[in-house]
Amino acid sequence: MSPTAAKATRMADEPGLAKQNGTTIGRVFGSGNIVHAEEDSDGRMHATIRINEDELIFDPSILILPHGGTIDLDLYNDDKNTHCAVFPSNGHMQFIWMVNSSHGTATLELDGPGQYWYGSTTGNDEGRGLTGSIVVSGDTPPEAKLDRPPQPQP
Amino acid sequence: MATYVEAGHASDYTNLSDVVGKAPAVTKKLNYKRILKAREAEPHNWITYYGGYDGQRYSLLDQINAGNVKSLTPAWVFQAGTVGMQSGAGTYSMEASPIVVDGVMYLTGYDGWVWALDARTGQELWRYKHASPYDISLCCGNVNRGCAVAEGKVFVTTLNAHVLALDAQTGNVVWDQVYGDVRAGESATVAPLVVKDMVIVGSSGGEFGVRGHADAFKIEDGERVWRCYMVPKPGEPGSETWPTEGEAWQRGGGNCWTTPTFDPDLNRLYFNTGNPCPDFDGAVREGDNLFTDSVVAVDPDTGQILDHYQYTPHDVWDYDSTMENILFDLDGQKLSAHFDKNGYLFILDRTDCSLVRVVPFVDRITWGEIDANGKVTAKVYPDKEGDPVHFWPGPAGAKEWTHAAYSPKTELLYAPVQDIGATATRRRREFKESIPYWGAGVAVDGEDVAGSISAFDPRTGQERWRWRHDYPMCASVLATAGDLVFAGEPSGRFNALNASTGEQLWQFQCGSGHHSSPSTYSVDGRQYVVVPTGWGGWVEGFLPAMLSARAGSAVFAFALPE
Repeated sequence: MSPTAAKATRMADEPGLAKQNGTTIGRVFGSGNIVHAEEDSDGRMHATIRINEDELIFDPSILILPHGGTIDLDLYNDDKNTHCAVFPSNGHMQFIWMVNSSHGTATLELDGPGQYWYGSTTGNDEGRGLTGSIVVSGDTPPEAKLDRPPQPQP
Repeated sequence: MATYVEAGHASDYTNLSDVVGKAPAVTKKLNYKRILKAREAEPHNWITYYGGYDGQRYSLLDQINAGNVKSLTPAWVFQAGTVGMQSGAGTYSMEASPIVVDGVMYLTGYDGWVWALDARTGQELWRYKHASPYDISLCCGNVNRGCAVAEGKVFVTTLNAHVLALDAQTGNVVWDQVYGDVRAGESATVAPLVVKDMVIVGSSGGEFGVRGHADAFKIEDGERVWRCYMVPKPGEPGSETWPTEGEAWQRGGGNCWTTPTFDPDLNRLYFNTGNPCPDFDGAVREGDNLFTDSVVAVDPDTGQILDHYQYTPHDVWDYDSTMENILFDLDGQKLSAHFDKNGYLFILDRTDCSLVRVVPFVDRITWGEIDANGKVTAKVYPDKEGDPVHFWPGPAGAKEWTHAAYSPKTELLYAPVQDIGATATRRRREFKESIPYWGAGVAVDGEDVAGSISAFDPRTGQERWRWRHDYPMCASVLATAGDLVFAGEPSGRFNALNASTGEQLWQFQCGSGHHSSPSTYSVDGRQYVVVPTGWGGWVEGFLPAMLSARAGSAVFAFALPE
């Protein structure tokens, strides 16, 4: 094992990164929870995202979708400050203003696969930790794939 | 239990702006017949990517001319900006050629933006934003080169390799087709071209070991018509130029990431193909590697390859030939002109893609030599593992993808020239899908660089004039019947040159470098010259000495004072 690897620490084990005003001023990106969206029988997806009190993160920080398509979100601001959310969605980004202790909803249309960002674009909420990921799982449709045998993967 | 205030349902972010929401129905009757005659019948418009199927980037408008261009002033500015995070955040750039139809401008930006603007005022009429994955594979920046319009639709490709048809009045999606595999490293940056009842696109991803292709879809409903691979499978014509054993052809590159030109009389699309892959390690792909680095004539009705001419056989310098093939007639000959990355200007007979003339167009060429008969002799190239090799032109080429122009009035070709070398050190690596597959470490020169706008006589290949610059010229040029050539600089300056002499007649500092394609149009009798600005893209590849130059994302429209 190399010296560098020997010193390596998992994010969750490193004190002061996954909190406000710890080692960092804000909270390191992506250091919150990971949740899988639920899928309805028709393929439409749904999930709940909360802004926890004084944590300045979206919970979950990483929302995983089983595939591209339409997802309905329930949004809760449990913080004692006002935030907002700008979500990616084909056609137009989706925006919602969320005062303290508020509930809202959003509907997003996303292709797959890949990682998409969302954030609270007020003050420096994004830098403090209110930047999240929506990860779309799945593959490219067969008709768009290259005509070649399966290739070695990383 | 907390009591929540109702925040409602998230709405379109666009609603919180002065976007009008609707554009006039100017493209509803814009069909193939009109596009065929676009330059001559409606010179006030800029209807296709190059301003015409022939790729000349020439306009008949002459209200702005060599005699009055010194009075040219900004008429309006459109600022794009950014919201939140975006793919290749440090690489975004405005690379489009604005399309204009009867007073409405259709424009694309980085990261999935499409806009319709009032071409007279710059007022944003509608916008579309495609959600682009943050982790998409992009070799050369978060960019898009423009859109196509026809029959009430705007066609655009997305970073994640979709081709979309948008309603030209609202920006709403009419149809959406996936035509590339993002998990294989494919993406899309090309401006589509409408031909007959089809929209033609091509793939990006040549640095990731994909198999390049062009695709055609019905403009009505997005139904696929054909796909044409630019690297043949074993047994297909051209496969003899690849190793008979192994997987090289499966990762061979040859992407079509700029717009083809089209000759409706010959019924031929002229595709321009990219580098073979791995870019610099030729030993794993012995042979000429067709149809990489080539012009490939394709039947638009079937997608079948008809002819080709390979500009750089067995390329090991990353010399894509994706830049345009300009179609023009001269002395009874049907010709095409192509300024290649390898530093040579090729004049071909476009009826069969045979060579008419080949001449160098940049001062320093050390990679090899092409004689008057087209015989290629490679001299300097990455060969031994770990052995650095310096050559001119570097991998960005003596001319990048940005486009040249041809004026039928002066009968001259105008090219943005880059005189910049690079050092490549071969470093063999195994292929893994979606991982960059170059086969070398590459450092482009930061010093001892130069550039120019150069004018060439296609009859002789002789250089007629040269407007010298301290930096490589990295943006497309525009030629007009007003005896003008417009050219943007990496520094942000936008210039008008005398088309006959190269004399600089006018200049304006746009604040950020040019890496796009200007166009021109008129509305209510007033001519405008429009140029997107915003330095970015693969700057480390074509001008690393300007890697930290001012970024931006604006569109400037210039006109004479009213």
